[in-house]
Amino acid sequence: MFAVLIDQFWSLTIAGIALGFIYVLISLGYTMVYGVLRMINFANSEIFMWGTFGTVITSRDIFHYTQTSEPAKGAKLVLVLVTSLLMSMLVAGLTAVFVEFVAYRRLRMKGTNRLATLISAIGISIALQEIMRLLTHSRPVGAPRILEKIILTEVWGANIRLDTVITIIAAALIFFILERFIKLSRMGKAIRAVSMNEDAAKLMGVNLNRVITTTFLVGGLATGAAGFFYITVFEYTKFNIGFTMGMAAFTAAVLGGIGNIRGAFFGGLSLGLLEVYASAVLGTQWKAVTVFIVLVLVLLFKPNGLFGEAVQTTRA
Amino acid sequence: MNKKIKSSLAVVSAAALAFGIASVPTASAAAKTYTIGYQGPLSGGEASTGIDEQNAVKYAIKLFEAKNPGFKIKLVSIDDQGDPAVAGTVAPGVASNKNVLGVVGPAYSGATIASLPYYKSVNMALISPSATRVSLTDPTSPDFGGPIFHRVVGKDDLQGPALAKYATAGVSAAKVFVFDDQSAYAVPLRGFVEAGLKKVSGATLVGGDSVPNTTTDFSPTIAKIKTSGATVVIYTGYYSQAAVFIKQLRDSGSKVVFAGGDGVFNQEFPKLAGAAAEGSKVTGVGGLAGVDAKMEADFKKKMGVSSGVYSVESFDAANILLAGIKAGKTTRTAMLAYVNAYSGKSISGNTIKFDKNGDISYGLFAGFTTKNGVLVNTGIIK
Repeated sequence: MFAVLIDQFWSLTIAGIALGFIYVLISLGYTMVYGVLRMINFANSEIFMWGTFGTVITSRDIFHYTQTSEPAKGAKLVLVLVTSLLMSMLVAGLTAVFVEFVAYRRLRMKGTNRLATLISAIGISIALQEIMRLLTHSRPVGAPRILEKIILTEVWGANIRLDTVITIIAAALIFFILERFIKLSRMGKAIRAVSMNEDAAKLMGVNLNRVITTTFLVGGLATGAAGFFYITVFEYTKFNIGFTMGMAAFTAAVLGGIGNIRGAFFGGLSLGLLEVYASAVLGTQWKAVTVFIVLVLVLLFKPNGLFGEAVQTTRA
Repeated sequence: MNKKIKSSLAVVSAAALAFGIASVPTASAAAKTYTIGYQGPLSGGEASTGIDEQNAVKYAIKLFEAKNPGFKIKLVSIDDQGDPAVAGTVAPGVASNKNVLGVVGPAYSGATIASLPYYKSVNMALISPSATRVSLTDPTSPDFGGPIFHRVVGKDDLQGPALAKYATAGVSAAKVFVFDDQSAYAVPLRGFVEAGLKKVSGATLVGGDSVPNTTTDFSPTIAKIKTSGATVVIYTGYYSQAAVFIKQLRDSGSKVVFAGGDGVFNQEFPKLAGAAAEGSKVTGVGGLAGVDAKMEADFKKKMGVSSGVYSVESFDAANILLAGIKAGKTTRTAMLAYVNAYSGKSISGNTIKFDKNGDISYGLFAGFTTKNGVLVNTGIIK
């Protein structure tokens, strides 16, 4: 039973960390919006899905790579990758702002209760998914290979591959930048102020609408970056991939303590690792079961998730 | 549009077809005319399947008429769009048209189930070239089509062993890893593959997995494959997942043989997977080209197009009804009794004989291998 885990431990760990970082970035989209609005952004899964198409469109339609073309090299490689990343972030960021405008702001202005925006978010997520389904004729879309998956070196029997290394380093970097932005910038401080006490923040002169829009934008940028890494690693997307990834990332956010940025980081990483270990030891059919048993156990002892206290105290 | 428009169109065409037949003179001095039907999707999104099948039926009729000058065969086209809702509106018209002695089809399982009540009440013999749902010939199921339903296509209990055989061909002492995508199609097929492996000499089952069909990260499964020391990996599931998986498997440096069932049998598979798909083995239905190249050339000459996926099955099905007509079975009851007792040769060389539930004893599956980005037919798996 544990033979696979022992034999392939380092390969599994590296794959789990790479997957975990993708979860981290998507769960930022959930956790940031929750931190400010105290509401789950159910459209975040579809924002991620739209983000994956940003990368596909860049490599396929702007740089004209096809399934059979050679992977890019040198300066061109960097150019295509960076453009794809920015494009995915842009697409997802704009989609998130659009969601905020359509599904949240209008209802918020009318002073509806929270559940109404929850439903309108679900509604817009269905719309986003259906639009993509129609645009792609319900078909899966393969992304051309831009980055050759070179095996850099072998560590303890595990292949260290270029795409996983780039994913781990770049995703960690993006997370770090966003975290600093929230911590240090003027806007970041405003976001945290609204998160702590909305009314007090308003009285201090914080422009609430601008803060909320920025929060959606930043969450969307992180989710879009996740879309880019997802395509780089898996080279595949479809109109309905959002649901599974969104569900996992949401779980990661809850595991870490939703509303807390550090929580998203540790929640995402532990979920990625947990998923691959559970699949390898018990069989992939037990993946979801294991994940949710762990989630229930964590919530049993720490009801606010691993890093959840901060939110609860500020709220009370 | 269009469900409404579509079904009203279907009703109109069914009516037109019923009137059309009524006005055809049935008696002629030189040759006597007999009528059979073909039911399948002839319009809509699935039309290519139905048109291909109907072409094979037309081809069978052409050959039959050339050989038997005393007979003229009229073919009634029954367009159910492969949709159960449409099938339920066109089948009554065909059932009430007394001239139709038997039907090749319906092509799709769902449409078959919707049509069955109308055909059962008039003892219409049905021979489907492509309806593979297991419940259709399962007497304990409400979908059971006996005694009127027959099929000349193999179910998955025959595909499983064929896939096991094809996947392990050319690999000595194959160590096989089988995994499914947890769907209603894939889980039973995996069972049939594993059963079939026992009959392949030298092959052993070394491991398996069951992966939700929403999975994109296959690294745990690949870790298991590596630990198990497998030399052949068989996936029962669909092409889009297979493409994601095979890319990751090849990227991990593994060079083991990869094979899949007819869920992977789609030209989109090599398109999605690119170079990683090269050499992958897939089972599917071979068509006339895979069985008899000379006949395929003749088909192309007479029909103006190449034969389609289920051409062998459609051709065989039509031939059974035509043989019944030649044997003088000119009522539906006589035709049904004839089909139930039929024993004859398929153009694939197998013997067609229906068991009491309407199934044949062989499955005609062809092996396909990916070469230069295309699935290439390598002939029937024997």
